[in-house]
Amino acid sequence: MIIGNHMVKKTTKKAKNSVRRVYMDYAAATPVDPKVAKKVNAALTGVFANSMSFHSYGQAARAVLEESRAILAQMIGAQSREVFFTSSATESNNLAIKGVASANKHKGNHIIISSIEHACIMESAKWLESQGFTVTRLGVDSFGQVNPQDVANAINQSTVMVSVMHANNEIGTIQPIEEIGKICREKNVLFHTDAAQTFGKIPVNVKKMNVDLLTASSQKIYGPKGAALLYVREGVKIDPVIHGGGQESGLRAGTSNVLAIYGFALAALEARRNMARETPRLKKMRDRLQAGILKSIEGSHLNGHPQKRVPNILNVWFEFIEGESLIIQLDLRGIAASTGSACSSAKLAPSHVLIAAGMKPQEAHGSLRLSLGRFSKDSDVDYVLKALPAIIQRLREISPFKKSEETNS
Amino acid sequence: MEKTDEKIRVLCAISGGVDSAVAAFLLKKAGFDVIGVFMKFWVDDLGAGEAQSANLDCMCDARRRAELTAGKLGIPFHVLDFSDEFKKKVVGDFLKGTQNGLTPNPCVVCNKAIKFGRLLKKAKELGAARAATGHYARIKLRKDGIFELLKGKDKEKDQSYYLWQLTQKELSKIIFPLGEFTKAEVRAAAQELALPSRDTPESQEACFAPAGTDVFLSKRLAARPGDIVDSFGKKIGTHDGLWHYTIGQRKGIKLSGGPYYVVSKNAKANVLAVSKRKSDLSGKTAILGGLNWTAGICPKLPLSVKVKIRSRSKAAAGLIKKKKGLVCLEFARPQPAITPGQSAVFYQGSRLIGGGFIAR
Repeated sequence: MIIGNHMVKKTTKKAKNSVRRVYMDYAAATPVDPKVAKKVNAALTGVFANSMSFHSYGQAARAVLEESRAILAQMIGAQSREVFFTSSATESNNLAIKGVASANKHKGNHIIISSIEHACIMESAKWLESQGFTVTRLGVDSFGQVNPQDVANAINQSTVMVSVMHANNEIGTIQPIEEIGKICREKNVLFHTDAAQTFGKIPVNVKKMNVDLLTASSQKIYGPKGAALLYVREGVKIDPVIHGGGQESGLRAGTSNVLAIYGFALAALEARRNMARETPRLKKMRDRLQAGILKSIEGSHLNGHPQKRVPNILNVWFEFIEGESLIIQLDLRGIAASTGSACSSAKLAPSHVLIAAGMKPQEAHGSLRLSLGRFSKDSDVDYVLKALPAIIQRLREISPFKKSEETNS
Repeated sequence: MEKTDEKIRVLCAISGGVDSAVAAFLLKKAGFDVIGVFMKFWVDDLGAGEAQSANLDCMCDARRRAELTAGKLGIPFHVLDFSDEFKKKVVGDFLKGTQNGLTPNPCVVCNKAIKFGRLLKKAKELGAARAATGHYARIKLRKDGIFELLKGKDKEKDQSYYLWQLTQKELSKIIFPLGEFTKAEVRAAAQELALPSRDTPESQEACFAPAGTDVFLSKRLAARPGDIVDSFGKKIGTHDGLWHYTIGQRKGIKLSGGPYYVVSKNAKANVLAVSKRKSDLSGKTAILGGLNWTAGICPKLPLSVKVKIRSRSKAAAGLIKKKKGLVCLEFARPQPAITPGQSAVFYQGSRLIGGGFIAR
């Protein structure tokens, strides 16, 4: 029972010391919505059968699975048969990139991605290069936006697909997906977008966005981990990456994680119900946080696009600050934040997103991502606005960057 | 900023091994506000490819055990990525020294530059008054305000040798919770507390070269053949790079009619000198560089001390003196394999009073 011990001790300890706890890392993961958890829990021991089984038990599981598929399909403007379940946004993105490249290699061996994609797209593309494909990585402007004209220019005879994320996970910048999609349609090139950071937060519609493939995830919208989807427009050729027993119409083998998928659908419904109220609430809080930080902390700058941005992400850069100590200091005060993507937080390498947006490695190191969500409160913003300036001031007093800059130049 | 009734914050390095885990436990028990940190160093990737090794690296066993240990102790835990600096300073020094015919000790460099240099800086940034590690050594504050560095109570396990470069300023901010304990006691405590690292084997030297330093160097240094000469200077064979050899080495010299011992390495001429007589290995003097006096002031020379010329050697009586502007060491009796690049560390009783690098 080591795990149990660990958890209990850690939480009771914090409570005893009465450190206020503020979670501002919703872009990395969200807690499961209590309403969703209640329904999934209720089904946990009952809906257990293999959704591929013919008996009544299997039919019950299949009913939950297909109902969930219908809900999610309808929500993104797709048909049920165009929605395929996977285990994660990472898996969906791997499937999109590798599966489309593989199935269309007779047409060409060139793919285009942006230089600010999530690691799962970047690494999948890199792997494709090792298999003989060529990859174009499009630059972004200082706000982190891809220029649709660059997409048009990069497309050539052998281009089979373009993948540009809907909104960036580190800086929140929303990409001109409709326009890029239109260009891809005109040039007869498949278009995929990773909507992990937008689905459930801002409207996502595959038709309006002119996309052929789209990734969405459960764990970013208060659903359980272990479920995500890949929308594949009917008629798009795609090969499976995981082979086996024919689940998901043969595109993704492996026993379906029915209850996680059920939770995904429930969470999506909940998100849709809340969106009209939640979007302005988050935006207001985020903007107050932003204004407060930029006003009270000298040498702080906004990263990402000031307007074209998801409502819950704030990324700021502090001059003469190194992110590692900042994150630890925040954590010691009970504030959970990150320097960028959680997937690379064990590395001190500067964010590839911020570098692509034109920042120097040192500037990127001093950047902080605060992301809000459903359980964020105004008092959380107050708490961060109170704690952050003191931390920044302290770190600057002993900043190694400041010193090294002085001696270097 | 700190209130007086607040606990003193200590940044405790937790390596995933048994010693640092018990050190963190002792600090917590003593009432400190302990923050556990895992210092991430650079590790040679064994051909796994960069992306892959980066991932392996960040989720390596040691780090996982360190995090579990912190969880078990109920202290906050964070990873400090020192890999760039480690590569530059520790690995860089090791490569450079080796190319110059020296036998560097990377742990000594790491302690100075990374383990304490960077850790203390981090401690300051994180509002911690002290930094702690699981070294077997003691620090004592003398009445006159000088911090003394003493051998660990466990004479077998004493690690003060590796710490000779520490200064007064550093010593004033460091805690060695294990100084008064034996390794057996530490192991027993770890068992009793069921710490996740209780069965971890002893760490090896050159942690950055998991396949051994010879494999590590072979990948980076080109073969550089040269002569092997005997004690009369006569060529009796060829070697394929001085860095394959260390002073005193007997095995693997690949000469017939042996056994031979490596006596010296001349990096400039790329010549390896060997001898059949073990006594040729012995010397009575050494010239030292990069000296550090623990108390912060150079004592009156000449000075009689006990000297260790490698971590596992017995301390031998010697005299430190100045000769033509150089600091020399004269041993009372001939010492085997005085190795350039290694550290000569001075003791008076259990007190470490300073040290230097053996230049020649």
